[in-house]
Amino acid sequence: MKKDNRANSEQLAEWAKVIRKDVVQMVARHGQGYVQQGLGAADLFTYLYFQELRFDKTDLEWLDRDRFILSTAHNTAVFYATLARAGLMDPNRLSDYCLDGNSLEINASERLAPLVECTCGSLGQGLSVAAGIAMGFKRQQRDSNIYLMLGDGELEEGQVWEAAIFAATHKLSNLIMIIDLNYMQVEGDVRDVATIDPLDAKFRDFGWQTTVIDGHNFEDIFSSFEAAKKDTVRPSCIIANTIPGKGVPFLEGKKSHNMVLPERAALDALNWLEAKHD
Amino acid sequence: MIEDDIKSTQSEARHLDDFSVKQQDLEKPIPKYYGEALLSAARNDSSILALSADLTAPTETDLIRDYLPEQFIMAGIAEANMVGVGAGLARAGFTPFLHSFAVFLTRRSFDQIAMQVAYPKTNVKLIGFMPGIDSLLGVSHQAIDDIALMRALPNMVVLEPASPSDYQDAVKAALAHHGPVYLRLYRANTHSSNSADSPSWEIGKIRRLSNGSDAVIFATGLMVEIALQASQELKKYSINTTVVDCASIKPIDIDGILGEISKRKVVITAENHSIIGGLGSAISEIIATNNIARPFFRVGVQDCFAEGGSRGFLFRKYGLAADDIIKKVKQGLAN
Repeated sequence: MKKDNRANSEQLAEWAKVIRKDVVQMVARHGQGYVQQGLGAADLFTYLYFQELRFDKTDLEWLDRDRFILSTAHNTAVFYATLARAGLMDPNRLSDYCLDGNSLEINASERLAPLVECTCGSLGQGLSVAAGIAMGFKRQQRDSNIYLMLGDGELEEGQVWEAAIFAATHKLSNLIMIIDLNYMQVEGDVRDVATIDPLDAKFRDFGWQTTVIDGHNFEDIFSSFEAAKKDTVRPSCIIANTIPGKGVPFLEGKKSHNMVLPERAALDALNWLEAKHD
Repeated sequence: MIEDDIKSTQSEARHLDDFSVKQQDLEKPIPKYYGEALLSAARNDSSILALSADLTAPTETDLIRDYLPEQFIMAGIAEANMVGVGAGLARAGFTPFLHSFAVFLTRRSFDQIAMQVAYPKTNVKLIGFMPGIDSLLGVSHQAIDDIALMRALPNMVVLEPASPSDYQDAVKAALAHHGPVYLRLYRANTHSSNSADSPSWEIGKIRRLSNGSDAVIFATGLMVEIALQASQELKKYSINTTVVDCASIKPIDIDGILGEISKRKVVITAENHSIIGGLGSAISEIIATNNIARPFFRVGVQDCFAEGGSRGFLFRKYGLAADDIIKKVKQGLAN
C-alpha cells in the first residue's frame, strides 16, 4: 500500500533518531561494526521506508511492491533497524544481529527474503540485478519502482559502469539509484584511492537523470525522488552527500569501515542521540 | 521454421558475421540446431528471453533476434552485467537464456554466477558456445576450465550434449528444470545421432552408446564422437569397449557409472576440457569414494593452455584424438 500522507521532516527526523540509537546498540553489542555508515545513511533509509517505498506490511511477497536492493550489503545495522521500525520485522529481533545461526547476518543475504531482494555483498553486482528486474517490470507493465543503494567506494567496480550503460540504453526509468556518498572505504578516503568525481557529470553523461543532494535533508531527499519518478525515459541517480557517524558529534566525519565501538563510546553516543534535539 | 525464411534470413550481412566457425561455403552456413531448438521453445513460451553479449550469430540467437525480436535482448560486451541482468529478469518471472562463448560467460562472470544465479537458484540458463580447445581464435577464447568452475557451484546443473541431435532435448531438459543450468555447446555441420537406439536424454542419467567388456570410455560433448571412433578402431585389435555419453556432468549418474565400471577392466574419461575439475575429476571422485581399483586414464587437456588452430591439429597436439584414447585403453589392458 502506498503511503497515504507525506510525513513531515520532524516526524522523519524522530524516526531517524530512533534508528540511529538502534544502530549504536546493535554494533555496541559486538564492540565493532558498521556504525559509521549506519549513522550516515540513517536519514536516507528512514525516508525510503517511512515515506517512499510501496509495500504491504501484511504481505511482504506482494508482487506489486517496490523493490529495494542494498548493494552495499554490509550496511545492515541501519537496514535492519529501519525494517524493524517501519513495521516489517519484529524490533526484538534486532538483538539477534550477527549472532551465530541467525538470519540477521552482517552481510544481508536472502535468508531474509523477501526483505532482502537479492544477495549482494560482493560489491558491484546490485545495479545489474536491479536493471534486470526493472527491465522485467517494464516488459510486464508493472508499475513498481526499483530502488537501489550503492556505496561510493563500490563505484570502483567496473560492473557498475557496464550496468550504468545498460540501464540508460534500455531507458529503465523505473530504476532509482541512490549513491551514499560518504567518501569512505576500507582503505580510508575514497578520493585517496580513486578519482570518482565529478560523479554527477559522469552519470549525466552516461544518460542518467541525476541530482546531487544533502543526504541528511529530508526536503532535498523528497525533491530528488520526485524528480526521479517524473522522468519517464532515463534511470535516475541520486547522489546523496552523507557524513559518516552523523548525529553523534564525536563520531561525525570519522572514516572507519568497521569501527571499534567501546562500550563507553557507545553510551556517550546514545546520550548524544537522546539529549540532542535540533 | 520455414526453409525459405531461414534462407532469406541467413543472406543478411550480419548473419555472415559468424567468425566462430570456419565458413567453408557461404551458400551453406553452419546449421543452427540450438538456435532452432530455442526458437521453437520460445514461440510457445513468451517468458523465454535470449540475451546475447555481442555474439548473436555465433550463439545462434540471431533466430530469436529476427523472428521473435520482443524476446531478444542485446546485452552488449559486458558479460558480468548480463549475468546480473539475467538474474533480475528471472526474479521478475522471465526465463532468461544468456549467451556467449563458454570461456567469457564462465570466467568473466564467475562471482556474478555464484551470487546471483547459483546461490539464489534463479531460473537462469547459461549457454556457453565454443567449448574446450576447439577454436582457431586461440587461448583467450578457449574454455578449458568452464566445467570445473560451473561444477564447483552448488545448485548448478552442468550439461554437455554429445551432438546437435541432442540439443532440442537439452533445451527441453534445461527448461523443465526450474533453476540454474549451464549448457555447453559446440557447433557442427551434421545432425547425425550417436545414439539412435539409446535411452532418451535425461538430466542425471548416462547413456550407453556401445557395449564391450574390456574397457569403458566415459565421454562428454564432441569427445563422444571421438570415443566412438576409437571404439571402432579398437575392434580391429579385438578390444571391445563400452562408450558412455556423460552429457549430464552434474548431477552425475553415480549408480549408472558404478554399474558400467563394475563390468570392465579399464576406465577412460574423455573430455574437451582440462583433466582438472571436469568429467575426469568427477569420475575419479566416484571411483575413489567407492573403493574401486582399475587402471584409469583421463584424456583431455593436460593442465596446460593451448593455442589457436584447427580441431584436427589441436586434438592431436594436445592429446584429445581417437589415437590417444586407443593408446590409453591398450596401456590399461597391458597392465
